[in-house]
Amino acid sequence: MPYTAQVRLWLGNVSRSVFRVGWPRTDKDRAAAMISSVFLHVHSAKVQRHSLRASYTLGLGLISFYLFGVLILTGIALMLYYTPSPPAAYRSMKDLQFVVTFGMVLRNMHRWAAHAMVAVVFLHMCRVFFTGAYKSPRQFNWVIGVGLLLLTLFLSFTGYLLPWDQLSFWAITVGSNMASYAPWLGDNLKYLLLGGNVIGPGALLRFYVLHCVILPAIALGLVAVHFFRVRKDGLSAPAPSEPAPVEEVRPGRFPASARSYGLMALTDRPALPVVEADPEDDVMSWPHLLYRELLVLLAVLVVLHVVSLLFDAPLEELADPTRTPNPAKAPWYFLGLQELVHYSAFIGGVLVPTIVVLLLLLTPYLDPLPRGVGVWFAPERRRANWIFGVLASVAILLTAIGTYFRGPNWAWVWPWTG
Amino acid sequence: MRLRWPMTRRRFLFTTGTGTVVAGVLGFFGATARFLFPNVLYEPPSRFPAGQPGDFPAGEPSFLADRRLFVFNSAEGFYAISSVCTHLGCNVRFVPGEGFACPCHGSRFDLNGQVVNGPAPRPLAWFGLSLSPRGELVVDEQLTVDPDYRFKV
Repeated sequence: MPYTAQVRLWLGNVSRSVFRVGWPRTDKDRAAAMISSVFLHVHSAKVQRHSLRASYTLGLGLISFYLFGVLILTGIALMLYYTPSPPAAYRSMKDLQFVVTFGMVLRNMHRWAAHAMVAVVFLHMCRVFFTGAYKSPRQFNWVIGVGLLLLTLFLSFTGYLLPWDQLSFWAITVGSNMASYAPWLGDNLKYLLLGGNVIGPGALLRFYVLHCVILPAIALGLVAVHFFRVRKDGLSAPAPSEPAPVEEVRPGRFPASARSYGLMALTDRPALPVVEADPEDDVMSWPHLLYRELLVLLAVLVVLHVVSLLFDAPLEELADPTRTPNPAKAPWYFLGLQELVHYSAFIGGVLVPTIVVLLLLLTPYLDPLPRGVGVWFAPERRRANWIFGVLASVAILLTAIGTYFRGPNWAWVWPWTG
Repeated sequence: MRLRWPMTRRRFLFTTGTGTVVAGVLGFFGATARFLFPNVLYEPPSRFPAGQPGDFPAGEPSFLADRRLFVFNSAEGFYAISSVCTHLGCNVRFVPGEGFACPCHGSRFDLNGQVVNGPAPRPLAWFGLSLSPRGELVVDEQLTVDPDYRFKV
């Protein structure tokens, strides 16, 4: 055997030890490529054409996940220069902005990705509601999703204090005092969160540990469960109009049930009974799903880079507990609550958030009828969609009022006058 | 797990054993939660000297920014009012002739710190005063007093 052929053989052996399947050329190999990789086997071997449609999912869950990934990577980078103790924390922000190479861009990306994630996770929830995708068998995955929404908010909130500037200090002062209105355990809750009575070094350290370790770890756990359930249940789709035909087994082709039983399908056993929708509606995940996922990733990264190069994350002067800025505003996603808090601290800080979270958690169990799944604004679900739509609009409206229409002393201002 | 009767010895041992382990684990974590509440706080002391009585001009409030309170030197005596808004903890401003105004959510207080309007649920806190052996005015934030309180030096 010529020397070059030997080398090629040897390289081929090494490559096959890493990528067992190689570049797949048949459907069978494409399925095997998905199943044999720890990273790819979060996908099923085949997906329904319906769930690939961008107009159905809008890619919002995927975008949330990508943003979370960007936040982890940029967050770890920022940790290398950050000291979680006042006033050194503020100096690290200045260093990141003016001294560290690409520090400003990385901080901007972290900031804007965090804001975007709050918005995208909220929109993802709206999408899932309006398409009825939380109905059986996906009820509990909706509950996990609500947990992830709350975690996203809490992650963003704990990160807000870390720059230790006036903006962060007073936003967290307002936010943590809202927690103290909870009946019975309010003051203990605040004491636990701050590690004391005032926002000082102890509070900064607690927020840092929550932000960098505890909450991301919980979020990763919940994301794993969330994805596993999507993987097992498939994406929501309209119910088939007629019973699915039993698929004949052809060599080299996979039964539609490969979504959940891919490994078994690789063996030579007799075909499994087919329970899914019309198998002709399925396409191979490689390349159809992977290609779209990479395209969305590229779009997310491009947009994030452009925004981060054009707009800098805000950094005000060093936190000064003696001087309250006027107005002192919480992070924008809590400004709807702050607007309510302006009328009554108990209603805005405790009552409304508790009721909203309980309603969200119970949604799939209060609305259990499996009708109108897999379609936007299904006529069968008109009432549910109206209720959710009105509540979501009120939340957006209150947030917009708190953000744009409130000035000094929380008095009404028109955005174009200021 | 459902208790069935008559209980066999095996079932009894299993039930009590599992129950003890679960209770022990829960109790362990419950007790450890106490770890999260610090016993020592490195915060400024709540009882501190504010200055010599002569340092406070008569008739107008002196704002001690780092302690977040106002000290008043009136004809009837001294009194101290917290500048921490009882709504969400912002610093209130003194408005001569009117009282106090909070910049965060527009709460208003009269000259005695009583709520006039806005979302603040309670009046501003009044703190007890005393005199140190050095003759300094001492504010005690643990000791809240009524608005008719005056401290004669």
